Amino acid sequence: MVQGGPELMLLSGLLLIPFVGSLVLLLWPAGASPQRLRLVTIVILLVQLALSLVVVWAFDPAAAGMQLQEQHSWVPGIGLDYALGVDGLSLPLVLINAALTLVAAVITRDIDRRPRIYFAMLLLISGAVNGAFLAENLLLFFLFYELELIPLWLLISVWGGVDRAYAATKFLIFTAISGMLILGAFLGLSLLTGSVDFSLTPVLSDRLAMGGQLLLLGALLIGFGIKIPLVPFHNWLPDAHTQASTPVSVMLAGVLLKLGTYGLLRFGLQLFPEAWARLAPGLAIWAAISVLYGSLAAIAQTDMKRMVAFSSVGHMGYVLLAAAANTPVALLGAVFQMVSHGLISALLFLLVGIVYRKTGTRDLQVLHGLLNPEKGLPLTGSLMIVAVMASAGLPGMAGFISEFLVFRGSIGIFPVATLLSMVGSGLTAVYFLLLVNRAFFGRLAVTPPTGDPQVDGRLDVRLAPVAPRETLPAIALAAAVVLLGLVPASLGHLSEVATTAMATVASTVAAISSGVL
Amino acid sequence: MSAALPLPLQFTWLIPVYGFSGMLLSLPWASGWIKRNGPRPAAYLNLLVTLLAVIHGSLVIRDVFAIGPQHLDFAWFKAADLDLRLGFDLSLTNLAALELVTTMSLICQVYALGYLDKEWSLARFYALIGFFEGAMSGVVLSSNVFLSYFLLEMLTLSTYLLVGFWYAQPLVVTAARDAFLTKRVGDVLLLMGVVALAAWAGSLEFNDLYVWAAEAANQGRVGPLAGTLLGLGLIAGPMGKCAQFPMHLWLDEAMEGPNPASILRNSVVVTCGAIVLLKLMPVVAPLSPLATQVLLVVGTISALGGGLVALAQVDIKRAFSYGTTSYLGLVFIAIGLQQPGIALLLLLAHGLARALQFMGVGSIIATTNCQDLTELGGIGTRMPATLLAFMVGGAGVTALVPLGGFWCFGLMLNVLLPAHPQLAAVFLLTNLLTTANVIRVLRSVFGGAPLPKTRRTPECNWLMALPMVSLTVLVLLVPLIMQRIDPVPGIAAFPPALGLAVLLSGCAGVLVGCLLPKDEFWSRSRQPVVRVLQDLLAYDFYTPELYRRIIVMPVASIARFVLWVDRTLVKGLVDGVGRLSLSTAEGLKLTISGQLQSYVLTLIVGILMLLAAFQWFRGGLS
Repeated sequence: MVQGGPELMLLSGLLLIPFVGSLVLLLWPAGASPQRLRLVTIVILLVQLALSLVVVWAFDPAAAGMQLQEQHSWVPGIGLDYALGVDGLSLPLVLINAALTLVAAVITRDIDRRPRIYFAMLLLISGAVNGAFLAENLLLFFLFYELELIPLWLLISVWGGVDRAYAATKFLIFTAISGMLILGAFLGLSLLTGSVDFSLTPVLSDRLAMGGQLLLLGALLIGFGIKIPLVPFHNWLPDAHTQASTPVSVMLAGVLLKLGTYGLLRFGLQLFPEAWARLAPGLAIWAAISVLYGSLAAIAQTDMKRMVAFSSVGHMGYVLLAAAANTPVALLGAVFQMVSHGLISALLFLLVGIVYRKTGTRDLQVLHGLLNPEKGLPLTGSLMIVAVMASAGLPGMAGFISEFLVFRGSIGIFPVATLLSMVGSGLTAVYFLLLVNRAFFGRLAVTPPTGDPQVDGRLDVRLAPVAPRETLPAIALAAAVVLLGLVPASLGHLSEVATTAMATVASTVAAISSGVL
Repeated sequence: MSAALPLPLQFTWLIPVYGFSGMLLSLPWASGWIKRNGPRPAAYLNLLVTLLAVIHGSLVIRDVFAIGPQHLDFAWFKAADLDLRLGFDLSLTNLAALELVTTMSLICQVYALGYLDKEWSLARFYALIGFFEGAMSGVVLSSNVFLSYFLLEMLTLSTYLLVGFWYAQPLVVTAARDAFLTKRVGDVLLLMGVVALAAWAGSLEFNDLYVWAAEAANQGRVGPLAGTLLGLGLIAGPMGKCAQFPMHLWLDEAMEGPNPASILRNSVVVTCGAIVLLKLMPVVAPLSPLATQVLLVVGTISALGGGLVALAQVDIKRAFSYGTTSYLGLVFIAIGLQQPGIALLLLLAHGLARALQFMGVGSIIATTNCQDLTELGGIGTRMPATLLAFMVGGAGVTALVPLGGFWCFGLMLNVLLPAHPQLAAVFLLTNLLTTANVIRVLRSVFGGAPLPKTRRTPECNWLMALPMVSLTVLVLLVPLIMQRIDPVPGIAAFPPALGLAVLLSGCAGVLVGCLLPKDEFWSRSRQPVVRVLQDLLAYDFYTPELYRRIIVMPVASIARFVLWVDRTLVKGLVDGVGRLSLSTAEGLKLTISGQLQSYVLTLIVGILMLLAAFQWFRGGLS
């Protein structure tokens, strides 16, 4: 294992590669073909992925606390330091970020408008997300958290669907409010505790009265709750997803939502353990409501993409449940759930994207029988079955172990909320089975049913074959989902020390201050 | 694991892997990468690995006979206080069940070569069967509840895919959906139980759980409500797997799938579910007397209800699949009364005989392309092997001397009569109903005059006939196998009077079966009472309709309500705020009049308000 010294600067590399790459793409000579720009982006992202793997190698899973730390004073007057570090909570997310951005770049096709800006923005998002996951300074986190906003807004509003302006503006306003609340909470923490230091200090909040703590934590909860998103702050997500192109949906669901859950764990739980313990029962109920609401709303959807978007709302609720329970197993489950949701929802969006490109619709009332071996999309359909089963928590795939850890860790603390969330997990099977049954089973058809059996399903449809290069990223993601489901220890050993320490510290602090110890 | 163990024993964990590897080996053909020479190689590879599993299993049995039961244990995932392990219990019971699973899988795979002769997607079928077999072999060997759950869910998945094999047909689509969702309900309830056990008991090994449950019950560590809920959750999974009331609908609909899979589903899959229940029973019983009662009630309802509903089915596969529900009801009663030995014997007798029955059915369907009893008839002795399979299989699932069922029923009655005479009556009545159904089907398929679809009925091809005849011999040998497995107190350890009672119930069943009108045309009776009864049974007591009303429709309406909330309230609020800010801006725009006085007035009012606010704020602070 490598001891992270200032001379190594591995983590800065994770920021520099995408940022510099983004700059390079912006300055690329005009008139370059989109294919070439895509290739350059893929090469840059491969380097980023390789460096992320180097960080995994250099990371010592047995050691607690931040590793590979870098610290430079930046604007001392306002307490902004360039402080980076990685632990078992952020490392898997950094890896997911690199992998899914690569997937997003690989599946990007037909970018005819301003390809330079498109790929530059993609890299900018990836770099900003890395920065947010690695930042050890509250203000630095906030900077990166906001930095990702504008590129994503552009990606939706320039390369999105018909109603993109509405969706992009909604996304922008929601996320800007989220950012304001988070900045307000950070500033409030420094103001009320009288500290000019914005470094990540878990015990700062015990200088505060409970009222102040609850106020600041409340602001953080709503701020990150918008990003995750939790009901009732989820309204931007289905619109953003339906209007965004497939690669952007992959980024949004797979990577960007994790900023919210990461923030919840890192800043909500770690900075305010005492107030967190106070609010935890309410948070568990909130999680259960979010899970059930997302699942039930998904059942009633007819647009495949909206259905997957609502399933995200439901599945991110598990992370809140685990965070509320705050036991070592539950927090490890939260990390697992973030990673597996990233992989699975990316896979789902990717496959829905293929269906949309081949058929021109995502309407479940129109699509039928896509599994047809000769004229349909058999491989896409098979992968879709894998994806929905993984999402429904079938064993042998990543979703199961994540949910099992979350439920196992939470049931002792909040039995009712956990059981309700498990009902939500059962409902996942309902809506995704409806999706597979309607769109992929039955006779092949891509027209609305007329009710006349002579017509329905008898039109000779022949869909354009899906090229292997289109399904290759999906196969890779599906393989990752199965691999993580069969060998969960591969992720577990990276994160276990960090999540255990987090749960222990948080519960100890809470216990000390409530006078139990 | 000590190094001294014989090699086949050390690698017992490979046996489930054989099945799964069969799936992987079939993939190149199933996915269409290899198109040359058709999909047959995938089938041969699967047969090979299954044969390997059978041989390996018998080697393990030989070793276990020599050195006694063994336990294999591998760490899978460990975090904080959670330790998930893959454990295999190599007891003779488990290994016997394993051999039943692998042998049946092998026989069915040979049979499927004949039955699905011209099927395009043969390779996909074999891939799924391999998956199926792997999951089942794992379930019967598993020594902890986590692994059992893990593999039961895989069974659910493969059932879904096998039932949905011919996914272009509308009935198949609903059948696959119902099979998955019904089982999934049971699985989620089981998962709740498993998660609760993991949190409360720590270890998930069955043996540790037995100790924990006994202690917890003695010391009152688990409250009565929690214990009851836990018990109900744990039995829900097997109930779904064994197609017990109220989760029985899927098995009947699942008959839309290919017949070789139906053979496995009706014989060994339900056996797997019952074996898991058997293993869970020592946990459930001490904690939750109610769950035990529920098992008996569910078993009784399933046994009698299934037997009655079977009588009114016109689909030959469905008529027998309700028989499976009915028979498993009896097994549930045996398990609920904590008679594991008899339950296992019942399962063994049932598994082989039911499989044989379904092979006969498959042979009829393959020859006539028809599974409607009203269109079958008059085959007579033109299909001798099939007729023999029908008769021996039918005798096996009923309690006819000297086949397996008779001895199990006798033993069971012997246990039941002193304590639960009413349950003994259930056994006899179920036997009557089952026998009546077997006779009814036998009459309509083989008796009478040939109908258009049965004019030309040659015997099925040798790939189907060979496994069918072999299994016929095996079913006839079941009593000997049972005697070998359960030498103490012996399979005939019951008074002759009870044997006579069992026989008489069978004879009554034969009588009823002969008296039942033959469904040559599916005409509903003109007598209103009979017609109502006929409909009631034919439509399974209207349970599908009932479920639609009390489960599907409420869930759908709640979902629509949530969607309405989402569209109207949540989105409405968001859009409303947006519109409000825009219209405010539009309104304010009109106040710009250009008059200097009004600007000055606005300024002064603003400053005054600010000052007042400051003053109030400071007053509030001091």
